Amino acid sequence: MSQERETRLFMISPRSMLTPDQLVRMVHAFGAAAIVKETCYGCLVEGPRELVLDILSKVRETYPNEVFSKVRAYPCSDPRRCRAQHGTRPGYAQLEEEWELLSRIQYGLENIERGAKYEAPAERKRIPVNDFKRICEVQ
Amino acid sequence: MKIFIDPPNSLVLFDLVERFGHEPLSAMAAIQERVDNLEVDMPPMNVTLDDVVRGLKYAGVEVPSGIRGRLAVWGPLIEEADAAIIMDDCPYSFGCVGCERSNLMVKYLIKRRGIPTFHVSYPETDEQAVDFVAQTREFLEGLE
Repeated sequence: MSQERETRLFMISPRSMLTPDQLVRMVHAFGAAAIVKETCYGCLVEGPRELVLDILSKVRETYPNEVFSKVRAYPCSDPRRCRAQHGTRPGYAQLEEEWELLSRIQYGLENIERGAKYEAPAERKRIPVNDFKRICEVQ
Repeated sequence: MKIFIDPPNSLVLFDLVERFGHEPLSAMAAIQERVDNLEVDMPPMNVTLDDVVRGLKYAGVEVPSGIRGRLAVWGPLIEEADAAIIMDDCPYSFGCVGCERSNLMVKYLIKRRGIPTFHVSYPETDEQAVDFVAQTREFLEGLE
């Protein structure tokens, strides 16, 4: 991965009460020299990798289970992708799908924090022959 | 550890892998290298002609070029990975849209490498999501 530039996508879970505007104001309030762009799903943050990861950890401190993030390949406002310059948005359908899923993931993370654990479903065993006979036999 | 995620562009898997202390290997990072270092200026293409040739390592010449192009990006990631998380039973539009052959090839390549692999179902309900997160966490924390 390129060490010089990192563009991160911050997406807010639909179960959260946080708005993109609040998120962007919070990132601006960190005073970091990164580009922040408000979007309908959250925001884009661009800057040197270490700086962006620092912003991510600060955001996670405040909203641990509500804001999700991933790397974005293209820079902010890249003419090949930016809608304002008639770029294509091939990844948008995927983001829409994930946005719906984030609500459930937030619920999962919150429950895990409260101590929920995975319990494997009980293994289904074959019925013993004698029991089966008893069921089948006409009384 | 480096974890390959499938679908390789998934936000949820990327976030969870990073959250639980590992490095996700994703399509975005691979394409970022091409965007930063090469001239990828023909949208919607994310690969160069050389990539499609390189894809021959992972898929035969009779395979459609789209699959080869995808494998040219994902193949090196699978080779680099120490473990993999695969999300099964995803909705049609989740992940690599409409290309089941690419997905099957990716699963085959992961299986052939023999790395620890975790298959998890797409969570349809809140209860399934709790299991999904718990299982993913268990897998990722169990890796050494």
